[in-house]
Amino acid sequence: MSFTLQSLPIPNWRWIKDLVWRIEHAFERARAAGRAENDTRLRIFVVLAIFSIAFVVLAAGAAKMVIFPDVSRIEAVGREGGLDRADLVDRNGAVLALDLEHYGLYLEPHDIWDVGETRRALLAALPDLQAARLDHALNSKHRSFLVGGLTPTAKAQIHDLGLPGVSFEPEQKRIYPLGSTAAHVIGFTDTGGLGLEGAEAAFNDEIRKTADPRTPFALSVDLRIQAALEDELTKAAQEFHPLGAVGVVTNVKTGEVLGMASWPSFDPNHPGQATDDQKLNRAASAVYEMGSTFKAFTVAIGLDTGVATPDSTFDARVPFHLGYRTIHDYHAAKKILSLVEVFQHSSNIGTARLAEQIGPKRLSQYFIALGLTRPAKIELKESAMPLIPHKWDDDAVASTSFGHGIDVSPLALSRAMGALLNGGTLVPLTIHKLPADAKVAGPRVVSEKTSQQMLQIMRANVTGGSGGKADVPGLSVGGKTGTGEKYIKALGGYSQTQQVSSFAAVFPTDGDAKTDRYFVLILLDEPHGNAATGGFSTGGWVAAPAAGRVIDRISPFLHVQRQANLASLVAQTKPANPGDER
Amino acid sequence: MILFTRRVWGFRLIDVIGVGLLIALILSVYLAKTFAGRERGEIARVEAEIATEHNRVRLLQAEVAHLERPDRIEHLSSTYLGLGPVKTTHEISPEALSSVLSAKPTAVKEGRL
Repeated sequence: MSFTLQSLPIPNWRWIKDLVWRIEHAFERARAAGRAENDTRLRIFVVLAIFSIAFVVLAAGAAKMVIFPDVSRIEAVGREGGLDRADLVDRNGAVLALDLEHYGLYLEPHDIWDVGETRRALLAALPDLQAARLDHALNSKHRSFLVGGLTPTAKAQIHDLGLPGVSFEPEQKRIYPLGSTAAHVIGFTDTGGLGLEGAEAAFNDEIRKTADPRTPFALSVDLRIQAALEDELTKAAQEFHPLGAVGVVTNVKTGEVLGMASWPSFDPNHPGQATDDQKLNRAASAVYEMGSTFKAFTVAIGLDTGVATPDSTFDARVPFHLGYRTIHDYHAAKKILSLVEVFQHSSNIGTARLAEQIGPKRLSQYFIALGLTRPAKIELKESAMPLIPHKWDDDAVASTSFGHGIDVSPLALSRAMGALLNGGTLVPLTIHKLPADAKVAGPRVVSEKTSQQMLQIMRANVTGGSGGKADVPGLSVGGKTGTGEKYIKALGGYSQTQQVSSFAAVFPTDGDAKTDRYFVLILLDEPHGNAATGGFSTGGWVAAPAAGRVIDRISPFLHVQRQANLASLVAQTKPANPGDER
Repeated sequence: MILFTRRVWGFRLIDVIGVGLLIALILSVYLAKTFAGRERGEIARVEAEIATEHNRVRLLQAEVAHLERPDRIEHLSSTYLGLGPVKTTHEISPEALSSVLSAKPTAVKEGRL
């Protein structure tokens, strides 16, 4: 030992050598000093004390673990079947989506006694199970997953077969109990619980973070409104056989989407079985040339800039030339029209003349301020980018003033319309429920006076203009029809027969700027007129009636009082010019 | 020290005390663990029951939501009960009730209002 220490080659370790030497010979030194007995006892006592303390600490720790077991460890065990995602509910707490415990079936081939019997029994119990998949699992050398998503009932049936080697593990599966109702708002997830579409994708992180059934994630939609909207939209689609249809209901003050429907729809429980066309959320992901609903913007801009007043007149007697375009009216009034009449008759000529006076610069600035040149501001990831003119010249002014040459999504239109109708501020749309007293801020785009004038003009369009079929007895409904001819690439121009027909409505139009108001949009892509519409497939014939029925049905849910005296006043009102609502 | 020198039944007092403490410690830990294990088993059983009931409740909630689908309720109510959305003519505020009744006394008598 001493040789080893002495032969240490590194001088810096000398102090270690000295220390070890000192400890080794401490007992000898103590004996030499005549205190050997005392020193030994002291050593033993010190060692005993150290071990005693260590054992007491260990014993106390063991006792604590036994008497006060860590609760979190028990919870962690129970969490195996815990939620992956929070429940989704509508604004009133009705369940829209939830995680339910299901079971995955696993096979352990080594434990199977009779492979043939197990194969026959499982194929009989699981008719959808592919035989090749089962054979692969049976011939595997390891325990393997066979099928997931078994309901407790299905699991119990298979369990009762008493098959050795068959086991189950709990797993969570996302369920949409309402089926296709509100499918495009809710969206869906993949099998791993990742949101792919709709609110499931938009709020994926929030839904995962709040995965607790006691704190569901509330969406802004009202299931009653959503159902009424979908029902009327489906009826309109069945009547007019469009390629697709859209319905939107929003609160113009808060921007909350109370209902959003896209037809055709799909069942989010089985998204793999739906076509891309069914899964397409036309309200957010599709863009359309909206046609005359854009006249509401042009008229509002004219009023807000001071270019026009409701009594200003426009010569609609002859076609109007602006840029390379010659603008006609669908059913020419061939007279001088006031601004309100331009709106009521949906005069392209009058609107284009107004737009010319506004000018390209101001018109484009307002369109930008109204959010019409960007995707609709909403949480949905599928919010589509609009198609806008490359250059804001006379041609663009002529086209966009009545909704041609600019393609926007129905949600973008809804948001911009909301700004015209809520007192003049552009608020973001949201599918997340806001607190009852929420005050949503936004940039002012038109004055409060302009907003009030637009409400009156839109009301006049329903009581005496092209939107008469949207009128609802007892309610003050305003609105604007829209019929945008579709651009056909093969033709190199606009089709005379393929149209996007819509109706943009607001109610109630009476009351001051603080009154709660709601916007309703119904849009049909390439509808077909029928005998009941006299062959017309314009917005006033195919979309306005559906919008009126929606408003009639949802007004009680929104606590908008229907007034009997108002009903008697408007009951017999007919549209000014049926069919003249482009 | 007396602890190290005094002997009981031939063993040093310190050894006897140490063995006694050790036995007491083992016994107390055994008892505590036994009782705690029993309690923990009971807690686990109750928690498993709660989890099962919780899953049943959620399953029932899903079934209720499925059965109360608005389109299903509307179809059933219109098909079997002849119900539909309330029309404006069937709606009146309490304040306006008296004026309507005075305007249509005959209808009231005949039970049409």
